[in-house]
Amino acid sequence: MDLVDIIAEKRFLGQEFVTWLWYKSEERGGAIDIPGMGDVSVVFEKHLLLESGEGDSREKVICQGLQSELTEARTGLRMGKKLEQARILLGHGEYQWNLTIRASMFDLKSVKVPKTMAASEESDDPEAIEGRLLEKISLYEQALQFVDELFRMYLQVRLSNDWEKEVLKVRTWINAG
Amino acid sequence: MGLLSSSASFVRFSVEGEMPANFWDFAAERIAGHAFRDIDDSYEEHSIGWVSIMNMFDSEFAYASYAAGDYIALAMRMDDRKVAPAVLKKFCQKEEERLKKERQIPKLSRGQKLEIKENMNLMLIKKAVPVPSVYDMCWNLADNTVLFFSTSAKAQASFEDLFKETFDLHLILQVPFLAAGKLIDPDLEDRLADMGPTILL
Repeated sequence: MDLVDIIAEKRFLGQEFVTWLWYKSEERGGAIDIPGMGDVSVVFEKHLLLESGEGDSREKVICQGLQSELTEARTGLRMGKKLEQARILLGHGEYQWNLTIRASMFDLKSVKVPKTMAASEESDDPEAIEGRLLEKISLYEQALQFVDELFRMYLQVRLSNDWEKEVLKVRTWINAG
Repeated sequence: MGLLSSSASFVRFSVEGEMPANFWDFAAERIAGHAFRDIDDSYEEHSIGWVSIMNMFDSEFAYASYAAGDYIALAMRMDDRKVAPAVLKKFCQKEEERLKKERQIPKLSRGQKLEIKENMNLMLIKKAVPVPSVYDMCWNLADNTVLFFSTSAKAQASFEDLFKETFDLHLILQVPFLAAGKLIDPDLEDRLADMGPTILL
Protein backbone atom coordinates (compact mmCIF):
# COMPACT_ATOMS: atom_id res chain seq x y z
CA MET A 1 0.00 0.00 0.00
CA ASP A 2 1.47 3.42 -0.83
CA LEU A 3 1.44 6.36 1.56
CA VAL A 4 -1.58 8.10 -0.01
CA ASP A 5 -3.71 4.94 0.40
CA ILE A 6 -2.44 4.39 3.94
CA ILE A 7 -3.37 7.96 4.89
CA ALA A 8 -6.87 7.57 3.43
CA GLU A 9 -7.65 4.02 4.56
CA LYS A 10 -6.03 4.10 8.00
CA ARG A 11 -7.07 7.61 8.97
CA PHE A 12 -9.22 6.13 11.75
CA LEU A 13 -6.22 4.65 13.59
CA GLY A 14 -4.78 7.91 14.97
CA GLN A 15 -8.26 9.30 15.65
CA GLU A 16 -9.31 6.20 17.56
CA PHE A 17 -6.06 6.33 19.55
CA VAL A 18 -6.54 9.96 20.60
CA THR A 19 -10.16 9.25 21.61
CA TRP A 20 -8.98 6.26 23.65
CA LEU A 21 -6.25 8.45 25.18
CA TRP A 22 -8.84 11.00 26.30
CA TYR A 23 -10.85 8.21 27.94
CA LYS A 24 -7.70 6.71 29.46
CA SER A 25 -6.53 10.06 30.87
CA GLU A 26 -9.86 10.54 32.65
CA GLU A 27 -10.02 6.97 33.93
CA ARG A 28 -7.52 7.80 36.70
CA GLY A 29 -8.01 11.54 36.93
CA GLY A 30 -5.39 12.64 34.43
CA ALA A 31 -2.59 10.13 35.08
CA ILE A 32 -1.56 7.15 33.00
CA ASP A 33 0.89 4.55 34.22
CA ILE A 34 3.25 3.86 31.32
CA PRO A 35 5.20 0.61 31.79
CA GLY A 36 8.83 1.45 32.44
CA MET A 37 8.17 5.17 32.84
CA GLY A 38 5.71 5.38 35.70
CA ASP A 39 2.88 7.86 36.00
CA VAL A 40 2.65 10.43 33.24
CA SER A 41 0.00 13.09 33.51
CA VAL A 42 -2.07 13.44 30.37
CA VAL A 43 -4.60 16.24 30.45
CA PHE A 44 -6.83 17.24 27.55
CA GLU A 45 -7.23 20.97 27.60
CA LYS A 46 -8.55 24.03 25.92
CA HIS A 47 -8.84 22.94 22.34
CA LEU A 48 -10.36 19.96 20.55
CA LEU A 49 -11.22 19.57 16.89
CA LEU A 50 -13.72 16.94 15.79
CA GLU A 51 -14.68 15.95 12.29
CA SER A 52 -17.41 14.01 10.57
CA GLY A 53 -17.96 12.81 7.03
CA GLU A 54 -15.34 11.88 4.49
CA GLY A 55 -13.45 13.47 1.62
CA ASP A 56 -15.10 16.61 0.24
CA SER A 57 -18.06 16.38 2.61
CA ARG A 58 -15.84 16.38 5.70
CA GLU A 59 -17.01 18.84 8.37
CA LYS A 60 -15.00 20.17 11.27
CA VAL A 61 -16.09 21.46 14.67
CA ILE A 62 -13.78 23.20 17.13
CA CYS A 63 -14.52 23.08 20.87
CA GLN A 64 -12.63 25.49 23.07
CA GLY A 65 -12.83 26.56 26.70
CA LEU A 66 -10.26 27.24 29.37
CA GLN A 67 -11.96 25.57 32.31
CA SER A 68 -14.64 23.70 30.43
CA GLU A 69 -15.46 20.03 30.80
CA LEU A 70 -15.41 19.86 27.03
CA THR A 71 -19.01 18.67 27.08
CA GLU A 72 -19.66 19.85 23.53
CA ALA A 73 -16.79 17.68 22.33
CA ARG A 74 -18.16 14.66 24.22
CA THR A 75 -21.57 15.29 22.69
CA GLY A 76 -19.77 15.32 19.33
CA LEU A 77 -18.32 11.88 20.06
CA ARG A 78 -21.83 10.62 20.90
CA MET A 79 -22.98 11.92 17.51
CA GLY A 80 -20.29 9.84 15.83
CA LYS A 81 -17.81 12.65 15.19
CA LYS A 82 -14.13 11.71 15.25
CA LEU A 83 -11.49 13.41 17.37
CA GLU A 84 -8.95 14.84 14.90
CA GLN A 85 -6.95 17.33 16.94
CA ALA A 86 -6.39 17.83 20.65
CA ARG A 87 -4.32 20.11 22.87
CA ILE A 88 -2.69 17.94 25.50
CA LEU A 89 -0.58 18.62 28.56
CA LEU A 90 1.97 15.91 29.31
CA GLY A 91 3.73 15.91 32.65
CA HIS A 92 6.51 13.69 33.95
CA GLY A 93 8.31 14.44 37.21
CA GLU A 94 9.00 18.17 37.31
CA TYR A 95 8.75 18.57 33.57
CA GLN A 96 5.78 19.56 31.49
CA TRP A 97 5.10 19.59 27.75
CA ASN A 98 2.17 21.16 25.93
CA LEU A 99 1.36 20.03 22.44
CA THR A 100 -1.38 19.77 19.87
CA ILE A 101 -1.58 16.40 18.16
CA ARG A 102 -3.22 16.01 14.75
CA ALA A 103 -4.54 12.48 15.04
CA SER A 104 -4.74 11.35 11.41
CA MET A 105 -1.16 12.34 10.55
CA PHE A 106 0.62 12.44 13.94
CA ASP A 107 1.81 16.01 13.40
CA LEU A 108 2.76 17.69 16.64
CA LYS A 109 1.96 21.39 16.63
CA SER A 110 2.80 24.29 18.94
CA VAL A 111 4.95 22.02 21.09
CA LYS A 112 6.18 23.77 24.21
CA VAL A 113 8.95 21.96 26.03
CA PRO A 114 10.06 22.47 29.64
CA LYS A 115 12.27 25.50 30.09
CA THR A 116 15.56 24.33 31.47
CA MET A 117 17.88 27.32 31.18
CA ALA A 118 17.47 31.00 32.01
CA ALA A 119 17.84 33.34 29.02
CA SER A 120 20.81 35.05 30.69
CA GLU A 121 22.74 31.77 30.72
CA GLU A 122 22.53 31.47 26.96
CA SER A 123 25.83 32.16 25.28
CA ASP A 124 26.76 32.26 21.60
CA ASP A 125 29.95 30.20 21.54
CA PRO A 126 29.71 27.07 19.34
CA GLU A 127 29.80 24.62 22.23
CA ALA A 128 26.99 26.39 24.06
CA ILE A 129 24.95 26.48 20.84
CA GLU A 130 25.51 22.75 20.29
CA GLY A 131 24.51 22.07 23.90
CA ARG A 132 21.36 24.12 23.48
CA LEU A 133 20.48 22.35 20.23
CA LEU A 134 20.99 18.90 21.72
CA GLU A 135 18.94 19.77 24.77
CA LYS A 136 16.05 21.11 22.69
CA ILE A 137 16.12 18.08 20.38
CA SER A 138 16.15 15.73 23.34
CA LEU A 139 13.10 17.47 24.84
CA TYR A 140 11.20 17.16 21.54
CA GLU A 141 12.19 13.51 21.29
CA GLN A 142 10.97 12.93 24.84
CA ALA A 143 7.56 14.34 23.88
CA LEU A 144 7.52 11.91 20.95
CA GLN A 145 8.58 9.08 23.20
CA PHE A 146 5.59 9.70 25.49
CA VAL A 147 3.29 9.70 22.47
CA ASP A 148 4.93 6.49 21.19
CA GLU A 149 4.60 4.74 24.54
CA LEU A 150 0.95 5.78 24.91
CA PHE A 151 0.32 4.64 21.33
CA ARG A 152 2.03 1.33 22.10
CA MET A 153 -0.28 0.87 25.14
CA TYR A 154 -3.30 1.53 22.91
CA LEU A 155 -2.05 -0.88 20.23
CA GLN A 156 -1.43 -3.61 22.79
CA VAL A 157 -5.04 -3.56 23.93
CA ARG A 158 -6.39 -2.76 20.44
CA LEU A 159 -4.76 -5.81 18.87
CA SER A 160 -5.60 -8.12 21.78
CA ASN A 161 -8.73 -10.08 22.61
CA ASP A 162 -9.45 -7.57 25.40
CA TRP A 163 -10.39 -4.85 22.94
CA GLU A 164 -14.12 -5.66 23.12
CA LYS A 165 -14.05 -5.14 26.89
CA GLU A 166 -12.12 -1.89 26.47
CA VAL A 167 -14.63 -0.64 23.89
CA LEU A 168 -17.46 -1.16 26.38
CA LYS A 169 -15.60 1.01 28.91
CA VAL A 170 -14.94 3.74 26.32
CA ARG A 171 -18.64 3.68 25.31
CA THR A 172 -19.74 4.01 28.93
CA TRP A 173 -17.35 6.95 29.35
CA ILE A 174 -18.60 8.68 26.18
CA ASN A 175 -22.22 8.26 27.22
CA ALA A 176 -21.54 9.45 30.79
CA GLY A 177 -20.08 12.78 29.61
CA MET B 1 8.55 28.01 13.97
CA GLY B 2 11.96 26.46 14.17
CA LEU B 3 13.79 24.05 16.38
CA LEU B 4 15.13 26.69 18.76
CA SER B 5 12.00 28.80 19.07
CA SER B 6 9.88 28.66 22.21
CA SER B 7 7.12 26.72 20.47
CA ALA B 8 7.62 24.39 17.50
CA SER B 9 5.58 22.25 15.14
CA PHE B 10 7.06 19.16 13.55
CA VAL B 11 6.56 15.81 11.87
CA ARG B 12 8.69 12.69 12.01
CA PHE B 13 10.16 10.80 9.08
CA SER B 14 12.02 7.53 9.03
CA VAL B 15 15.11 7.34 6.83
CA GLU B 16 15.23 4.37 4.46
CA GLY B 17 18.31 3.21 2.61
CA GLU B 18 21.90 2.19 3.10
CA MET B 19 24.17 4.70 4.90
CA PRO B 20 27.72 4.87 3.48
CA ALA B 21 30.53 3.59 5.73
CA ASN B 22 32.45 6.89 5.93
CA PHE B 23 29.25 8.75 6.69
CA TRP B 24 30.57 12.09 8.02
CA ASP B 25 32.86 12.61 4.98
CA PHE B 26 30.01 11.70 2.69
CA ALA B 27 27.63 14.06 4.53
CA ALA B 28 30.15 16.96 4.42
CA GLU B 29 30.61 16.59 0.68
CA ARG B 30 26.91 16.22 -0.08
CA ILE B 31 25.78 19.06 2.19
CA ALA B 32 28.37 21.39 0.59
CA GLY B 33 27.15 20.27 -2.83
CA HIS B 34 23.56 21.14 -1.96
CA ALA B 35 24.21 24.27 0.09
CA PHE B 36 21.91 27.18 -0.58
CA ARG B 37 22.89 29.55 -3.41
CA ASP B 38 21.79 33.15 -3.16
CA ILE B 39 19.73 34.49 -6.10
CA ASP B 40 19.40 38.11 -4.96
CA ASP B 41 21.74 39.30 -7.72
CA SER B 42 20.46 37.06 -10.51
CA TYR B 43 17.10 36.61 -12.26
CA GLU B 44 16.61 33.02 -11.18
CA GLU B 45 13.10 32.22 -10.05
CA HIS B 46 13.81 29.60 -7.43
CA SER B 47 16.67 28.38 -5.24
CA ILE B 48 16.67 25.66 -2.59
CA GLY B 49 19.45 24.29 -0.40
CA TRP B 50 20.89 23.87 3.08
CA VAL B 51 21.87 26.66 5.47
CA SER B 52 22.94 26.74 9.09
CA ILE B 53 20.16 26.37 11.62
CA MET B 54 21.54 29.40 13.49
CA ASN B 55 21.91 31.73 10.52
CA MET B 56 20.15 31.58 7.16
CA PHE B 57 23.04 33.49 5.52
CA ASP B 58 25.56 30.80 6.49
CA SER B 59 25.90 28.11 3.84
CA GLU B 60 29.60 27.48 4.48
CA PHE B 61 29.19 25.40 7.68
CA ALA B 62 32.60 26.16 9.16
CA TYR B 63 33.88 23.25 11.31
CA ALA B 64 30.87 21.13 10.27
CA SER B 65 28.55 23.32 12.32
CA TYR B 66 25.64 21.05 11.30
CA ALA B 67 27.03 18.20 13.43
CA ALA B 68 25.69 18.05 16.98
CA GLY B 69 26.44 14.82 18.83
CA ASP B 70 24.76 11.98 16.93
CA TYR B 71 22.61 14.44 15.01
CA ILE B 72 22.75 16.50 11.87
CA ALA B 73 20.88 19.75 12.37
CA LEU B 74 20.30 21.84 9.27
CA ALA B 75 17.83 24.28 7.82
CA MET B 76 16.31 24.06 4.36
CA ARG B 77 16.09 27.47 2.74
CA MET B 78 13.91 28.19 -0.27
CA ASP B 79 13.92 31.55 -2.02
CA ASP B 80 11.21 32.22 -4.59
CA ARG B 81 10.52 35.14 -6.85
CA LYS B 82 6.76 35.40 -6.97
CA VAL B 83 4.34 37.72 -8.71
CA ALA B 84 1.03 38.46 -7.02
CA PRO B 85 -1.86 37.37 -9.31
CA ALA B 86 -3.51 40.81 -9.03
CA VAL B 87 -0.28 42.51 -10.16
CA LEU B 88 0.10 40.14 -13.13
CA LYS B 89 -3.52 40.72 -14.11
CA LYS B 90 -3.09 44.51 -13.96
CA PHE B 91 0.00 44.52 -16.18
CA CYS B 92 -1.61 42.10 -18.68
CA GLN B 93 -4.71 44.26 -19.01
CA LYS B 94 -2.60 47.39 -19.40
CA GLU B 95 -0.53 45.78 -22.18
CA GLU B 96 -3.63 44.39 -23.92
CA GLU B 97 -5.20 47.86 -24.00
CA ARG B 98 -1.99 49.38 -25.34
CA LEU B 99 -1.74 46.83 -28.14
CA LYS B 100 -5.41 47.16 -29.14
CA LYS B 101 -4.99 50.92 -29.42
CA GLU B 102 -1.70 50.65 -31.30
CA ARG B 103 -3.03 48.13 -33.83
CA GLN B 104 -6.52 49.65 -34.03
CA ILE B 105 -8.24 46.31 -33.40
CA PRO B 106 -11.32 45.61 -31.18
CA LYS B 107 -9.92 42.51 -29.50
CA LEU B 108 -6.88 40.26 -29.24
CA SER B 109 -6.72 36.54 -29.99
CA ARG B 110 -6.28 33.94 -27.26
CA GLY B 111 -2.74 33.28 -28.49
CA GLN B 112 -1.81 36.95 -28.28
CA LYS B 113 -3.23 37.21 -24.76
CA LEU B 114 -1.23 34.17 -23.67
CA GLU B 115 1.95 35.62 -25.13
CA ILE B 116 1.34 38.90 -23.28
CA LYS B 117 0.79 36.97 -20.03
CA GLU B 118 4.03 35.08 -20.49
CA ASN B 119 6.04 38.22 -21.27
CA MET B 120 4.53 40.19 -18.39
CA ASN B 121 5.19 37.33 -15.98
CA LEU B 122 8.85 37.20 -17.05
CA MET B 123 9.25 40.96 -16.77
CA LEU B 124 7.66 41.07 -13.30
CA ILE B 125 9.58 38.07 -11.98
CA LYS B 126 12.83 39.80 -12.85
CA LYS B 127 11.72 42.77 -10.77
CA ALA B 128 10.48 40.68 -7.84
CA VAL B 129 12.61 40.30 -4.72
CA PRO B 130 13.18 36.64 -3.72
CA VAL B 131 11.05 35.71 -0.71
CA PRO B 132 12.85 33.35 1.71
CA SER B 133 11.32 30.46 3.68
CA VAL B 134 13.44 28.54 6.17
CA TYR B 135 12.57 25.19 7.76
CA ASP B 136 14.71 23.41 10.36
CA MET B 137 15.38 19.70 10.51
CA CYS B 138 17.33 17.36 12.74
CA TRP B 139 18.43 13.89 11.79
CA ASN B 140 18.93 11.37 14.57
CA LEU B 141 21.68 9.16 13.13
CA ALA B 142 21.40 6.56 15.90
CA ASP B 143 17.79 5.59 15.16
CA ASN B 144 17.58 7.03 11.63
CA THR B 145 14.65 9.36 12.14
CA VAL B 146 14.30 12.95 11.06
CA LEU B 147 12.22 15.67 12.67
CA PHE B 148 11.14 18.31 10.18
CA PHE B 149 9.87 21.54 11.67
CA SER B 150 6.87 22.35 9.53
CA THR B 151 3.45 20.78 9.13
CA SER B 152 2.97 22.26 5.64
CA ALA B 153 2.55 19.46 3.08
CA LYS B 154 4.22 21.60 0.40
CA ALA B 155 7.29 22.28 2.54
CA GLN B 156 7.46 18.58 3.45
CA ALA B 157 7.40 17.55 -0.23
CA SER B 158 10.26 19.97 -1.07
CA PHE B 159 12.17 18.68 1.95
CA GLU B 160 11.77 15.03 0.94
CA ASP B 161 13.12 15.88 -2.53
CA LEU B 162 16.09 17.89 -1.23
CA PHE B 163 16.96 15.20 1.33
CA LYS B 164 16.89 12.50 -1.33
CA GLU B 165 18.97 14.53 -3.78
CA THR B 166 21.51 15.32 -1.05
CA PHE B 167 21.92 11.98 0.70
CA ASP B 168 20.46 9.42 -1.76
CA LEU B 169 18.17 8.26 1.06
CA HIS B 170 14.37 8.15 1.13
CA LEU B 171 12.21 9.73 3.82
CA ILE B 172 8.93 8.13 4.87
CA LEU B 173 6.43 10.19 6.82
CA GLN B 174 5.55 8.39 10.04
CA VAL B 175 1.76 8.49 9.92
CA PRO B 176 0.04 6.46 12.69
CA PHE B 177 -0.21 3.20 10.71
CA LEU B 178 3.52 3.19 9.88
CA ALA B 179 4.51 4.31 13.37
CA ALA B 180 2.36 1.44 14.73
CA GLY B 181 4.26 -1.09 12.63
CA LYS B 182 7.47 -0.11 14.46
CA LEU B 183 5.91 -0.39 17.92
CA ILE B 184 4.17 -3.77 17.83
CA ASP B 185 5.43 -7.35 17.90
CA PRO B 186 6.10 -8.62 14.37
CA ASP B 187 3.54 -11.43 14.82
CA LEU B 188 0.77 -8.81 15.19
CA GLU B 189 1.51 -7.17 11.83
CA ASP B 190 -1.24 -9.05 9.99
CA ARG B 191 -3.76 -8.05 12.63
CA LEU B 192 -2.72 -4.43 12.28
CA ALA B 193 -3.01 -4.56 8.49
CA ASP B 194 -6.51 -6.08 8.65
CA MET B 195 -7.76 -3.70 11.32
CA GLY B 196 -10.87 -1.62 10.59
CA PRO B 197 -12.44 1.21 12.60
CA THR B 198 -14.32 0.46 15.83
CA ILE B 199 -17.77 1.91 16.37
CA LEU B 200 -17.42 3.73 19.67
CA LEU B 201 -21.09 4.73 20.01
